[in-house]
Amino acid sequence: MTITAPGLELRQLSRELEGRRLLDGLDLQVAPGECVALLGPSGCGKSTTLRLVAGLDPASEGNVLLDGEDLTLREPGERQVAMVFQSYALYPHLSVQGNLELGLKVRGVPAAERRQRIDAILDLLQLGSLRHRRPAQLSGGQRQRVALARALLRQPRIVLLDEPMSNLDAQLREELRPELRRLLCGGEQPVIYVTHDQQEATGMADRIALLEGGRLQQVGTPRELYENPANRFVASFLGRPAINLLPMAHRRQLGLRPEHLILGEEGPLAARLLRREWWGHQQLLWLESDQGPLRLLTSAAAAMPPQPRLSWQRRHELWFDADSGARLAP
Amino acid sequence: MKLSGAKALLMLPALLLLVAVFLYPLLRYGWLSGHASSVLTGLRPVPNGGANWQRLIEDVRFWKDAGQTLRFAFCSVALELAGGLGVALLLHQPLRGRGTLRALTLLPWALPTTVMALGWRWILNDPHGPLNAALRSLGAPSYGFLTTPATTWFFAVLADVWKTMPFVALLLLAGLQSIPADLEETLRLEGASRIQILRRLTLPLLVPYLSLALLFRLAQALGVFDLIQVLTGGGPGGSTESLSLYAYLNAMRFLDFGYAATVMLATFLLLAVLLGVGWLLLRRARIARTTGGPA
Amino acid sequence: MPLRRLRAGLRRPPGIPGPLAVGLSALLAAMLLALGVAPGLGRLQGAAPQPVPIRALMPAPLADAVAGPVARFNAKNPGVRLEVIRGPLDTEAISDLAISSLLLGEAPFDLLLVDVSWLAKYVAAGWFTPLDGWFGPEVLAAMEPGARLGNSIGDHLWRMPLTGDTGLLYWRTDLMDRPPRDTDELVAISRDLQRRGKVPWGYLWQGRQYEGLSCVMVEVLQAFGARWWDGASGATALDSPEAVAAASWLDGLLRHGVSPASVAGFTENDALQMFAAGEAAFLRNWPYAWREIEKADGPIRGKVGVTTVVAAPGRQAGGTLGTWGLSLIRGSPHPEEAVTAIRWLTGETVQRQLALEQGYAPTWSRLYDDPELQRQAPLLVVQRAALQHPEPRPLTAAYAQLSDLLTRQVNGMLTGQEAPAAAMASAQRQSLQVLRSMVGTPAAAGTGP
Repeated sequence: MTITAPGLELRQLSRELEGRRLLDGLDLQVAPGECVALLGPSGCGKSTTLRLVAGLDPASEGNVLLDGEDLTLREPGERQVAMVFQSYALYPHLSVQGNLELGLKVRGVPAAERRQRIDAILDLLQLGSLRHRRPAQLSGGQRQRVALARALLRQPRIVLLDEPMSNLDAQLREELRPELRRLLCGGEQPVIYVTHDQQEATGMADRIALLEGGRLQQVGTPRELYENPANRFVASFLGRPAINLLPMAHRRQLGLRPEHLILGEEGPLAARLLRREWWGHQQLLWLESDQGPLRLLTSAAAAMPPQPRLSWQRRHELWFDADSGARLAP
Repeated sequence: MKLSGAKALLMLPALLLLVAVFLYPLLRYGWLSGHASSVLTGLRPVPNGGANWQRLIEDVRFWKDAGQTLRFAFCSVALELAGGLGVALLLHQPLRGRGTLRALTLLPWALPTTVMALGWRWILNDPHGPLNAALRSLGAPSYGFLTTPATTWFFAVLADVWKTMPFVALLLLAGLQSIPADLEETLRLEGASRIQILRRLTLPLLVPYLSLALLFRLAQALGVFDLIQVLTGGGPGGSTESLSLYAYLNAMRFLDFGYAATVMLATFLLLAVLLGVGWLLLRRARIARTTGGPA
Repeated sequence: MPLRRLRAGLRRPPGIPGPLAVGLSALLAAMLLALGVAPGLGRLQGAAPQPVPIRALMPAPLADAVAGPVARFNAKNPGVRLEVIRGPLDTEAISDLAISSLLLGEAPFDLLLVDVSWLAKYVAAGWFTPLDGWFGPEVLAAMEPGARLGNSIGDHLWRMPLTGDTGLLYWRTDLMDRPPRDTDELVAISRDLQRRGKVPWGYLWQGRQYEGLSCVMVEVLQAFGARWWDGASGATALDSPEAVAAASWLDGLLRHGVSPASVAGFTENDALQMFAAGEAAFLRNWPYAWREIEKADGPIRGKVGVTTVVAAPGRQAGGTLGTWGLSLIRGSPHPEEAVTAIRWLTGETVQRQLALEQGYAPTWSRLYDDPELQRQAPLLVVQRAALQHPEPRPLTAAYAQLSDLLTRQVNGMLTGQEAPAAAMASAQRQSLQVLRSMVGTPAAAGTGP
């Protein structure tokens, strides 16, 4: 028996459905209190992973372990997992209180204790005034908080969040991020946060696991992924505007992030301005160079030289194999 | 909301249709029930005061049929709802060949009632039907399934349930499919058993579909006609006669249109009151749950 | 998003708009279909050939039986095209069909083959044209007594009879030397044969809650000296001691196992099938049953005799009159041609053929004296005997009601829901109620048309 660290550990977790490999040998560890974001385009396997951890779908291979205990074959109800769905999955026929209470009732928690726990959680999330409302009478943000309250009430050993903010508008999302972190992360439970939005992932998570085609591409802190991407996919997926990829000799590609290009009168590349996008204190320049089109992010105040040329620092260069997309040493 | 002219105009055909198919016959029955219109009046309506209504009140057969119709409708509909729910839950499971299974389930519903009733009449025939043949091959004597009031009633209910359960099942299946899967999954994660999920989540969310099926089927079952007409002819001894059959006999066989209209109108009023009460009860139940305070 | 739709659905009354819309569109589709089809039908009718079309509605067996004569009629009458509409087999079903079209106004037929029990009702409803203008009063005189009944109402002739059928008693020549003379003998022979294990059952008849049970009742009431209907007083007498005795006898057949309990669900065909399978000594049925038994290669073929129905000792027996005849629909656009068809179909030539080929009883006396017919149709003698004392069903426009409630009560008795005396008393009470309400209330009498 291998000694495992406390927290959640996924070992070679796989799921195959009708001959399609939805998830392929995922190895991932989430420490207690750590928040790991599963990031990737749709169909990459991130929701599949969540459902395997929750036990809603059976794993074809591999194991789910919590504090060394194998949960792989456990019923979902026995895993003490709390999950917040993208739709919030609030019971439409029950009030806020009813939504919170149903799980406790089902588990046979006595009435007095139910009341007490619900009161506490309603206080914590400042939902007291909405107690008797039905889901249909709540705003999107309120629904999300009720779903969160319900998840916390479970006293979960694992917290799973499936795109919990994708139904909210951008402003609300930004506002809620710190509160979500305060409530969920830094406690005892490992948290897995599924999102397709890199900004949300970098804002919420301690580490990001980037998935593509059912395979883990890279796992690390947001900064590690940004500065030291394992391959071209990671480099392209993270960072906005997306990285510039220049074809080079020997079937190699040079990756240069738009924010790392320097606009001046000197440099290895000549460029011509096509279009300008104003981003407040910054501007995005669409350029045409000998190596093809390029994006360049610079201060809004920067002026356009008459004969613009581009340069960059060596340390910002990211080299890839043009065919496999693998990262190459410079 | 105030109706704009264009909207009112668009609704006009529907309103006209409603008046034509619903209101006009009702008014016509009302008028006719105040008249004698039979072979003895040469089928011309002759006012007869309240004689038809007086006859109705004293008509033991009408009230007996009313009781029989209610009993038939309540029992069939209750069984159909229970059975239909079971079938719907089964068909909702991810089974292999589910599509074929669903199509097969619909077969009895697609069969014309008269054909279906003839089939049952043959099955239950004494002594030539297959059921009695089976009994005899087991050494038991033939049984008069359609000459014993209790079994005749039972098989009439069974035939109705057999025929219309698919309709209820399909309606409820549509309801089940409208329930998002994540609701059930959330409750499963809370540790709820299948029974708990059914009782606490599925059934409450099916209430609109259940009440729709209930009202639809109740209205249909209270007007049961062709099944009874073909399977039992109202017998034995009138023990399965329904109000619709009685009204039909009065009109088509006795040519007593005044009284037939009276029976039909009385039946309609009876059903309207009944369905109205049912509707109100359902609504009150729903409102109680909507505004219900701490559980 | 499904969840949002569901929530919205919960706030509103459940789903009414959806199904209603479906219903309305279905209705609309049906209407459009009807509109689209109707002109097509019109064109079909418009394209009909030159000769005057005459249509006759008949129950399927009779429609098939007259197919040959109809073809010959059309060959002989190029100016007329007679066409028979094949109606349902069941007597009540064909009446319902005829009434449905007659109520709608223009019936799609000119002639209707009418059962003797419908005539009064149809005449009262004003759906027929009297035939007096074409047939003199002497026409019926050339027919057997039973065949004359049930064609005239008031002073008018409304129907020309095509068949002279009556209820008959079928018996097994292999089990007894001669048929029973009365009801006591019928029961005694039955029980003796049953005791000796020769047949499982004694007597089979029609006990289902339908018109056939009324036909049985007419015979049994007559057999015990009771009368269902008193034409003079216009009232029923179903609670007389004789009527109760008749009902008790019928009830006793079941109680004592002379007839199987399943008789209470039997139509003519059910009873015939069981008899043809050799499971009983006696059968009450119409003349057609003879050919069915002889046609089929069953165990009792050639072992069946036919006789008139029996009565209680000292009483006059009479078989129920079940004649069919042709009536002319009021409003037929071609009455002359239609009557030509009636004349042909009810004439001696066609009746002779029907007797020879199908076993239907003729109505013309002359045919009963025809030596060839006597040779070829052995039933003829019995049929003529039966037509001497036939028993018609109550000749009143209210017959359908009276028959319905009598069969209801008697079937209730047969299935053990009521004792004979109670059943008959109830039938009598309800009959009087119906007659009272149909004759009309004082108000109706005052403002009658």
